[in-house]
Amino acid sequence: MNIDFKGEHLLPGHLGQFFIVLALGSALLSTISYYFATTNTNKFDRSWHNLARIGFYANTVAVVGIGVCLFYIIYNHLFEYYYAWEHSSRSLPVYYIISSYWEGQEGSFWLWAFWQAVLGNVLVWKAKSWEKPVMTIIMLSQTLLASMLIGVELFGQRIGTSPFILLREALNLKESTPIFNTNPEYYKNYLTYIKDGNGLNPLLQNYWMVIHPPTLFLGFASMVVPFAYAIAGLWQKRYKEWIQPAISYSLFAVMVLGTGIIMGSFWAYESLTFGGFWAWDPVENASLIPWLVLVGALHVMVVYKNTGHSYFTAIILVLASFVLVLYASFLTRSGILGESSVHAFTDAGMFWHLVADVVLFLVLAIVLLALRWKELPSTKKDEETYSREFWMFVGAIFLALSCFHLVIVTSIPVWNAMFGTKLAPPTDPVKHYNIIQASFAVVVTFLIGFTQFMKYKKTDITRFFITTVIYLVFAALITALVIYVTGVYKLHFVFILIMVGAIYAILANAKIFADALKGKAKLVGSAVAHIGFGLVMVGALISAGTSKIISENTSGQQFSADFVNAKNDPRENILMYRNTPVQMGKYLVTYVGDSISAPNHYFKVDYKLLDANGKVKEEFMLKPNAQANRKMGLVSSPDTKHYLLSDLYTHVNMSNAITFDEGEQAAAHDEANDDKKYDAPVIYNVAPGDTIPFREGYVLLTGIGRVDHIQNIPIAANDVAIGAKLKVVSHGKTYDAEPVYMIKNGSAFDFARKVDEVGLKFRFSKVIPQNSKIEITLYQQPESQRKWIVMRAIQFPYINFLWSGTIIMVIGILLSIFRRNKELKRVKHIL
Amino acid sequence: MKKSSIFGLIVIAIAIAVIISVYSNSSTYGSFNDAQKTNSELHIVGHLDKQKELFYDATKDANYFSFYMKDNKGEECKVVFTGTKPQDFERSEQIVLTGQMIGKEFRASKILMKCPSKYTQDKVEITEAKAKEASI
Repeated sequence: MNIDFKGEHLLPGHLGQFFIVLALGSALLSTISYYFATTNTNKFDRSWHNLARIGFYANTVAVVGIGVCLFYIIYNHLFEYYYAWEHSSRSLPVYYIISSYWEGQEGSFWLWAFWQAVLGNVLVWKAKSWEKPVMTIIMLSQTLLASMLIGVELFGQRIGTSPFILLREALNLKESTPIFNTNPEYYKNYLTYIKDGNGLNPLLQNYWMVIHPPTLFLGFASMVVPFAYAIAGLWQKRYKEWIQPAISYSLFAVMVLGTGIIMGSFWAYESLTFGGFWAWDPVENASLIPWLVLVGALHVMVVYKNTGHSYFTAIILVLASFVLVLYASFLTRSGILGESSVHAFTDAGMFWHLVADVVLFLVLAIVLLALRWKELPSTKKDEETYSREFWMFVGAIFLALSCFHLVIVTSIPVWNAMFGTKLAPPTDPVKHYNIIQASFAVVVTFLIGFTQFMKYKKTDITRFFITTVIYLVFAALITALVIYVTGVYKLHFVFILIMVGAIYAILANAKIFADALKGKAKLVGSAVAHIGFGLVMVGALISAGTSKIISENTSGQQFSADFVNAKNDPRENILMYRNTPVQMGKYLVTYVGDSISAPNHYFKVDYKLLDANGKVKEEFMLKPNAQANRKMGLVSSPDTKHYLLSDLYTHVNMSNAITFDEGEQAAAHDEANDDKKYDAPVIYNVAPGDTIPFREGYVLLTGIGRVDHIQNIPIAANDVAIGAKLKVVSHGKTYDAEPVYMIKNGSAFDFARKVDEVGLKFRFSKVIPQNSKIEITLYQQPESQRKWIVMRAIQFPYINFLWSGTIIMVIGILLSIFRRNKELKRVKHIL
Repeated sequence: MKKSSIFGLIVIAIAIAVIISVYSNSSTYGSFNDAQKTNSELHIVGHLDKQKELFYDATKDANYFSFYMKDNKGEECKVVFTGTKPQDFERSEQIVLTGQMIGKEFRASKILMKCPSKYTQDKVEITEAKAKEASI
């Protein structure tokens, strides 16, 4: 039975689906052709190569086409498509439409495929003799990505998930909305009932979400390149040559993925409310794991290039890094983390598809490595103990070990699924990760430090020990000062060791940097990158270790009986009534009001810093916001005051000032109902100049005057309308209100006025001509109706080290890329 | 013995140490009954008893939230959580608690809950609430 649905725009979807099929077909064609072009022994036969390039370009066009179609659908709010309905809404500004683009699995797969296509274009242009074997691997990966988007039924099993699936195909509209079931006419016109989409998760409505996913996925995508070079090197028996170009691409991947990870943590810090920048969530770990391995790989590749040592470590780590990218994508996308992670994707029915992806590349790497094992260049001699290569190798191994730990813990649900065990993640995961990862970080930071004083092959031992010890003593002194000032000394011993290590690493690399400025420019990139890394460590350690919750409730007033029984739980959330100041740390904090700019509800929280005489030294306003979202409940985002040396972070957990759909609330209030929100009214007879007291201040009647117009009610010549001019003074603030009394056509009316900020309502209920007084009826909201917020505030000291360290690290890696590219060119000239 | 072999042994030793420490740190999924018997923290999976009272009153104590949960074996227990009430708690269809028994109450340090999405039956959302952020 074909139903002729009204109002659907099917063309962009059909076009998009066509592009998906084209992307898959062309990627497959290109993979096969590149394979035969590589194995072809006839150098003059370019037919396979040409075919492969045609396939590749077609794939690029198709991937861009998918993107354009999907964007068109979301941008034009074509809610007949599930993806647009699920992830966007009409009220979404354009820049968030971009982030809704990759909120779903499909969009993020597309993003990955897009970056891989871009990198493919760079390789086709630059890789020269490497193009055929390297592109074979890249296009194989591209084929798999395209297959994730295809979304067709095959033998009763859906393969991939397409972003162009229609809403009525994805959901059973008839089941969820009975009216469609009863009346086919309604069902035919179902689109007219779907006014708006689900909208973007409020947590993702943050500018970092526009830029963080593309960066992260560029990082993931670029990790395929070193992998492809390593495979190509094994395959083509060019065992040594692949390393040089792979170093440049690895540097790029490390830089971009590292930036992406930090952007993600900055987003978490800015807009999530777990109160920090890193929580060791499986999703965060999943992006950190491949990064750590590739950083290790990079160092041993450099070792190999300079000394011929560590070949096996280098190739294994490079191969592992990309397999781990795929494993990470399996972890986050298959739904297996369900019970252990807050923000993993749910299963979109691609579990085995994702497993196949990992296994395919893992097997490819293992088989090739096994086949070529005997032929690989190995060194008979051990490295010298006092040589840079040996300790760089040790460092790489330790990075791999730290990653090993992350994999073991993050994969606990996988072990459970595989072995039927019932292990749960550590009860205090943050502490567990912190302690163990810190131990590895100690080793790594010390290595970053003293390896700088070593030379490749052989080092002058006496000189090495003298410089090392001098710098170490120096680092220890600075650390002592730093931990004393910041209070880090209260932490676990291992964190103090990292502090020494990180400062030592900074100092040692600062020396290299100084030398580099004098002429040995080669090492400037690595020195800068290492300094940046050291600063990241210092910043992370101080801010996470000494962050202090200042919204502690020390008054003891709100302790319930149950609570007193519990032993000293830190009380981190504080209740604040509107306009009632609370002392919090060194600040006097007041919740002063609200401002609503749909869909956000901002809570205005005023911070005052008083000096000894009670004068205001500093005053600022933070506006943490929340969205009352029908789907997700109250979603709050923090607001942060940034100082140079510390941040003050505030967010609202709960409030009675916010209601669902407050933007749309109709003005039609039922008068009688409205009065119920107030205490019983009190009547005052007042003359101009009189005051009326109320709980939080007083009201002054400043005058009575004629009113010319009231909303849209015409006032005729014999009608009378007078207003009572009231000045409400509460907590040092003044508000005006003018309730109106009117006689129209011989009957009396009155118009009440509200001052919501103080919870008052006034009626000008009567005129008493005898003593020229008027009657004001005062409605006051009961105490329990008073607006309150539950707030949490945290102080993060020295967090700017973390952010600035990241920027410095990126600059350092960038400098290294320039240097390696220069070397590449030189090598080519010599050849 | 060659230096690389010594180093290899050290690496293997560290790897084993890591596995052991993860294993000993990892907790288990259990029931309220198991929680009675042990002093260590554990995870309990169950669902909210919607018949009984959910208590949270920010004006009395913003950091106290209590409710009753039935674990997967059908046993019921009062749960006290030190913190604000997680949003949409009433709608949760599955809860994973982390914590331990204190007297007759289960004191949760972390609540992970799964809610049915309002619009789609096939999709499940997860939210998490933590009693306190551990400082390192």
